[in-house]
Amino acid sequence: MNYIKYLTLVVAGALFVSCDSEEFLNPLPDSAIVVDNFFKSDEDVSSGIVGVYDAIQGVNENTESSSARFNRGIQLEYLLTEHRSDNTRSKTLEGTRADFHRYRVDPDNLQSEDYYQSMYEIIFRANSILNNVSVADSENIAKYTAEAKFLRAYAYFNLVRLYGEVPLVTKVVVPDEKDLLFTRVAVADIYVQIEEDLLEGVENLDNTHKSRASKAAAKALLAKAYLTQPTPNYVGAKELCESISGFALEADFRDVFYNELNDEIIFAVQYIAGNPDESQGFSAEFTSYSRQGRQDGLNIVNPNLAEDFIAAGGNRTAASYAAFGDDAALPVPEDAEVIKFLPEGSDISDSNLPTYGGGPANAGNDWVILRYSDVLLMHAEAILAGGENTNDPSAIDSYMKVRERAGFDAVADRPTVLSKDALLLERRVELAFENHRFFDLLRFGVADAVLGAHASAKGYTSYNARRLLLPIPAREINLSDGVLTQNPQ
Amino acid sequence: MIYQLNTFKKTLSAVLGFAALTLSVSCEEAFEFDLPETGSIEDKSLPTANFSYIPDAENFKILNFTNLSTESTMYEWDFGGGNTSTDKDPSFNFVDGYDKASYDVTLKSMDANGAEAISTISVLLEDKFVPLPVTILNGDFNGGSADWKFAEFTGGNVNPFNSSSDGSFTNYDGTDNGAKTKGAKWTKSTSAGVYLSSNTRYAYQPIVVSESNPDRIVKYILEYEYAIKTPAEAAGVAAGGNRIISNILDGHFTDGADAVASEYLSTFVADEVKGKTTHTTVKQEFTTNSTGLVSIMFSAVTDVDVYVDNVKVYAAE
Repeated sequence: MNYIKYLTLVVAGALFVSCDSEEFLNPLPDSAIVVDNFFKSDEDVSSGIVGVYDAIQGVNENTESSSARFNRGIQLEYLLTEHRSDNTRSKTLEGTRADFHRYRVDPDNLQSEDYYQSMYEIIFRANSILNNVSVADSENIAKYTAEAKFLRAYAYFNLVRLYGEVPLVTKVVVPDEKDLLFTRVAVADIYVQIEEDLLEGVENLDNTHKSRASKAAAKALLAKAYLTQPTPNYVGAKELCESISGFALEADFRDVFYNELNDEIIFAVQYIAGNPDESQGFSAEFTSYSRQGRQDGLNIVNPNLAEDFIAAGGNRTAASYAAFGDDAALPVPEDAEVIKFLPEGSDISDSNLPTYGGGPANAGNDWVILRYSDVLLMHAEAILAGGENTNDPSAIDSYMKVRERAGFDAVADRPTVLSKDALLLERRVELAFENHRFFDLLRFGVADAVLGAHASAKGYTSYNARRLLLPIPAREINLSDGVLTQNPQ
Repeated sequence: MIYQLNTFKKTLSAVLGFAALTLSVSCEEAFEFDLPETGSIEDKSLPTANFSYIPDAENFKILNFTNLSTESTMYEWDFGGGNTSTDKDPSFNFVDGYDKASYDVTLKSMDANGAEAISTISVLLEDKFVPLPVTILNGDFNGGSADWKFAEFTGGNVNPFNSSSDGSFTNYDGTDNGAKTKGAKWTKSTSAGVYLSSNTRYAYQPIVVSESNPDRIVKYILEYEYAIKTPAEAAGVAAGGNRIISNILDGHFTDGADAVASEYLSTFVADEVKGKTTHTTVKQEFTTNSTGLVSIMFSAVTDVDVYVDNVKVYAAE
């Protein structure tokens, strides 16, 4: 017994001793992690690029369960996006994951910090590739460069939409370059960099891969950036959407999610079921009635989304969410669950006894970042060009292609005029739970109106217009010696 | 031997523990004799002041401000005219003493160290009022007399008119039908005025429009087409001329007798005689009342058949 006491003292002493160690006082900022240069050959650069995708893919929480930031990549993205829209919420109110849907995310929120760090991990790794790409075979240099820049643009596009002005780091830097690492750059300037990076992808990438950057993915992402940037480029977005070819809508909406890398997919992050290093944990987190995840149900469907599905979802409704137990008998379910990403072996046909296969916590469902129906709806959005209505037949054609797949009639259900509200509604039900809604509301200029009304209906009293931007993680501000500033709180 | 070893273990542990304790204390006590301000660092995170504003949905003179200041905890707003606020996100009604379209609003943001930042923005008070749209039920009379009847009529008749197949050639959406559409018809026996009787017909429909108030006059237009038979088609002229009378009533009414006796917001007399199915379009402008509840009422004074079709109400430009 005494031995344990002494041991505790030893451990405590060791902790105090470490208070002046180099690492504790000088942790590395997320935007600049320095590794020894291992790039020696073409093969190194090629595998380095694969390593960037690893940063997007993230580490499954069921593989490394530490609640500290762990580069979860996009596996937590639904918290920062869907939960902060009117689409979904956390079932429990405990823990920092339950802060997002109530608009009360703090600067020290772990999931927000992890996402911020993950995006800078992508940027850092991409910058490393760009710094060393010269050792690659000369015929590959342009392709590798374009791929790294695509990935960097992808990360900056996410950061600028979620955090606003962020530090813009486009080269390998060392930790004491604080001004470069922490000076926030105007949103418009970040979009200039995103455009420049993606134009290289449009120019130098091909369509070999769907699970890696491609020409089509660069076009689609650039179109979205054009629609989102402070001064939208509607003409450029329209041309890009029209130039994306070789893709088609899946006949059956469900196949979009369960037939991996199908004709509709432009860019997806792949996961492998059962493999702790390559699997994802979000599929399990989306369950609640028969809980498979670590939390009691995340991404739970809000009734007002279910109402929109019932009105405008067509055959997508049955493939998007399901209600279980008593909830299944309600006309509008209160706590429906997302079913676009059910783990392998799931059987939810019995609403009282859903099963989720042998290893739901190590799920292999891909995460779709870009797909063709998104491009079709962006095409209509580009033609609408910020207006309230359009009667342009090609805009309505694109809109109707998506609706026809959902079971609507090409003639009877075709509107003579396509309104902004109808397009936003269509995006909501087509792309629900794919982390689009929050960004759509921002892009359509209705985020404050829609989310303000949603928050007051739900009693989320923490909401105000400042909450449309996440706070910059406190850890980064602390490391910056006062260079990095906080968003209005 | 075992006992000895245990003793040794305990001693070793005690020594290690003591050493650790010494180290941990030394880290804490290193600053024991420093004065309070020693080692305090300058506050480099200074306040910035900024804000945005959105007009209230009901009243454009009320602005709801969103504070976009950083690194600050106390706020002083100045709306001009001596009006101030210390709220973080105030709302302010630019009503008393404010008659311009733009005012400078100043926000001073302060932190607890006394640092402050000031931002002044010219806010615009713009009337982006959009009048309520009005849908007339059965405005094309294709549904016969439905939606045009008083609920009751003391001493009178709730039937609003005679249904007619001699309406306008124009459809409700403005396109040419190529043939007559349905309409509403009044005759000598259903007339008011000199022919007033218990068989007199009044067409009535209550509508909701945007109300007028002291700050804003709201005008709408009642539009309809009408036709009156020529003397060649049918003989006879009522005293004062064959005519259709369209009224806008101040309120909604249950009993037609109360409606007829009420004070009208607007009256128009349509008396162009062009013949059956040769229609004239009336655009009767009216100012809304303070409740937004108004009604349309049609009647006729005529010896010959008269017709009404395609009744619409929309906001005046």
